[in-house]
Amino acid sequence: MKTKLTNLLTAGAIAFGSATAVHAQDQGLLDTIIERDSLLCTGHNGSYLGFAEVDGAGEWQGFDIEFCKALATAILGSPDKLQIIPLSWAQRFPAIQSGDIDVIIKVTGWTMTRDTELGLQYSRPYFIGPFYVMSKTELGATGIADLEGGVFCVNAGTTVERVLTDYMETNGIDYEPLAFEKGEELRAAFYAGRCDAIAGFGPFLSATRVNADNPDDFEILGDVLALEPEGIVVKQGEDDLLDVVNWMVSALLMAEENGVTQANVDEMKANPPTASVGRLLGSTPGVGTRLGLSDDWAYNVIKTVGNYGEIYERTVGEGSRYKLPRGLNNLWSNGGLLYPLVLD
Amino acid sequence: MSQLFSSQKFRRTALQGGFILGVVALIVSTVLVGKSNIADQGMATGFGFLEQTTGWPVNFSIIEVTGRSTYALVLWAGLLNTMLVGFLTLIFATILGLVLALMRVSSNTLIKLVGASYVEVFRNVPVILQVFFWYAILTHLPSPKQAYSLGESFYLSNRGIMMPAPALSGGDVLWLTASVILAVIFLLLTRKHLQSGPRWAIAAGAIFIVFCILLLTGREPDSALISVPQLKGLRFVGGITLKPEFTALLVGLTLFGASYIGEIIRGGLLSVDRGKLEAGRALGFSTLQINRLIRIPLAFRAMLPSLTNQYIWLMKGTTVGIAVGYPDYFAIVSTSINQSGQTMELLALLMGGFILINYSIGFLMNLLNERIKLKGRN
Repeated sequence: MKTKLTNLLTAGAIAFGSATAVHAQDQGLLDTIIERDSLLCTGHNGSYLGFAEVDGAGEWQGFDIEFCKALATAILGSPDKLQIIPLSWAQRFPAIQSGDIDVIIKVTGWTMTRDTELGLQYSRPYFIGPFYVMSKTELGATGIADLEGGVFCVNAGTTVERVLTDYMETNGIDYEPLAFEKGEELRAAFYAGRCDAIAGFGPFLSATRVNADNPDDFEILGDVLALEPEGIVVKQGEDDLLDVVNWMVSALLMAEENGVTQANVDEMKANPPTASVGRLLGSTPGVGTRLGLSDDWAYNVIKTVGNYGEIYERTVGEGSRYKLPRGLNNLWSNGGLLYPLVLD
Repeated sequence: MSQLFSSQKFRRTALQGGFILGVVALIVSTVLVGKSNIADQGMATGFGFLEQTTGWPVNFSIIEVTGRSTYALVLWAGLLNTMLVGFLTLIFATILGLVLALMRVSSNTLIKLVGASYVEVFRNVPVILQVFFWYAILTHLPSPKQAYSLGESFYLSNRGIMMPAPALSGGDVLWLTASVILAVIFLLLTRKHLQSGPRWAIAAGAIFIVFCILLLTGREPDSALISVPQLKGLRFVGGITLKPEFTALLVGLTLFGASYIGEIIRGGLLSVDRGKLEAGRALGFSTLQINRLIRIPLAFRAMLPSLTNQYIWLMKGTTVGIAVGYPDYFAIVSTSINQSGQTMELLALLMGGFILINYSIGFLMNLLNERIKLKGRN
C-alpha cells in the first residue's frame, strides 16, 4: 500500500514538474537553429500551386519553398538542411507558437491582428499579392459589377474572404458568398459551375486556370480587389532571426538589381564590379558577422537559388507553366514595388 | 496514529482523496502554465474577441449574418445551422429507418431483400463519401439559365432546389418553431384535463394565428404573400432555396443514418415476444394494427438506449459539412480560429456547443426511457 502511494505521488510530482519546466530556455531561435543544424519551414497540406507543391519525384517545389531553401542556405550553408513541415492555412500560427516550425513562409498577409494579438513579427514584404476575380468566359463579364447576384467562391479562413466582403460592400454589389476549406474542393466546385466566379490571390487563380481542362473557359477580370503585402513570419521577440530574414530578402533583390545571377556569381565574387557587390558577396568582410553568420552566406544563397528575379521566373513566372507576369513584384527600377535595403 | 493507518477505511479514503487532489493539482498547473506561456508569447487571450466584428460573410444561416456581425452572433448562427441539419436528419432518418426495419422483418421475400440490400450498401460506405457523392450530383445539374422547371414555380439547378414559399424571414421561422414547441408543451400539460379534440384544435389554431401574424407583419410591404422564385440575372430571387451544400449533407446523413437506425429498430422489433403478436392475431387485429398497437410500442422500449447513442453520433456526424462548404458550427469555428487566432477559446466553445446539444439529446431520451421502461425492473 505504501509503495502504491509513493508511486502515485512521484507520478504527480513528475507531471507537475514537467509542466512547469516548459519555458526554461532563454536561447534565441537563431542559435537553436544553428545548434540543431536544420531549419523547420512551412509546406502545404496538399498543393498551393506555384508556391508550395510536391512534384512528380516527391520533392517540394515553388516560390515559398525556394525562400525556405534560401534561408536554410543563409543560416546553415546548405539547402539540404531544410525540413519542410506540411501545414494547413489554419495550422501555421499555432505551429509557430508551439515551436513546430521556425518560420512561416507561406504567402502570409500582414494584418494587424496577426502582428499584434497573435504575438508574431513580420519581415518586410517579400511578395505583393494582388487579389482578382476569375469568372467563366461564357458569362461575358468585363468587370466584377457584371457578376451582380452571382455566387463567389473563396477559400475559408483567408484574407480573401474579408477583402471580397469589403470590396462588394464598398461598390454596393449584391452577391452570394460560398467558402470551402480546401483548395481542391474550391476548384472542383468552380469547374462544376457551382460558382460563377472565384475570388483569390492572383497566383492561385492563374494556377487554377492552367489546371482546368480548357483554360480558355475561364478568364481573370482586370479589377483588382486589393493588394496584400506578404511577409515572412517569426515569433515575437526573435529579433536575430528576423534580421537574417530581412537581409536575406534584401540580398536577393540587391543581387538582381546589380545583375548578380546564379551563373555569374563566382566571377562577381572574384572581381566585384562595385564596392557594395563586394560587400554583399563577402569579397570584403562584414555582411555575415553582423548577423552572426559566415561572410559568404549571401554568395551561398545566390549560388543555390539565384537572385529574386530568377526564383520568380523559375517558379511562377515565364519559366513556369503559370506564366504570372512580374507586375508589382518587379524592382522599383522596372516599375515594381520591390527595393533592396542599403548595405553599407 | 499507527492505529489510524491500520484502519482500512482511513487508508482507502486517504488514497482516493490524495488521487483526486493530484488530478486537480495537475489540471490547475496545466491551465496556469498554459496561460503564462501564452502571455509570454504576447498573444491575446480571453473571450473579448466575441464582441469584434468578423469581416467575413457566411453563406447560409437562419438568422441574418453579414461581415459586420460579431463573432458571438456568427458562432450562434453556426450552432443553429448544425442543429437545423442535425434535427432534420434525426427526424427523416428515424422515419426511413422505421420503414426499413418493417421491410426487413416482413414475411415477403422481395421486400426483405430490398431492405437488406439498402442497409448493406448505405451502412458500409463512409458517410463523407456519400455526402461528396450527393454534392457532386447536385452541383452537376444545369446552370440557373437552363434550370429544369416544373410549372414555372419549382426549379432545379446547380444553385439548388428553388420552390415557392410563404414570405417569411429566418427570424419568423424561429418564432414559428418556438410556437410549435410551446404548442407541444401545451398538449402534454393538458393531457389529463381536456379532451383530445379541443386540445388539438387549440394548439393548431394558435400556431395558425402566429403564422398569419408573422406573414402579415414580417414581409416587405406590398410584396406577395407567397413568394415565387424567378430568374434574375445570374440567380433566382424569391421563394426558398435548398442550397446544394445543405441538401447534400442532409440527404447523405439521412440515408446513412437510416441504415443504422433501421437495424436498431429491427433489433427492437425482433425482441418482441412472438406470443404477444400471436395473441393480437388471435384477437382479429390486422397486420397494421398489430404493428401500430403492439409491436412498435413494445419494441420502442428495447431500442431506446441504442437509439440515443445513434442520435448523438449522427449529431456529431454533421461536422462533415465542412467538406462540402456547409457552414455548420465546426466550419464556423474553424474559420474563426483562422481569422481571429483565438484557438484555445474557440476550441473550448466548439466542445461546449456539442456537449450542450448532445447532452440535451441524451437527457431527453433518458427522460423518455424513464417514462416507458417497465416499472419495478432495472
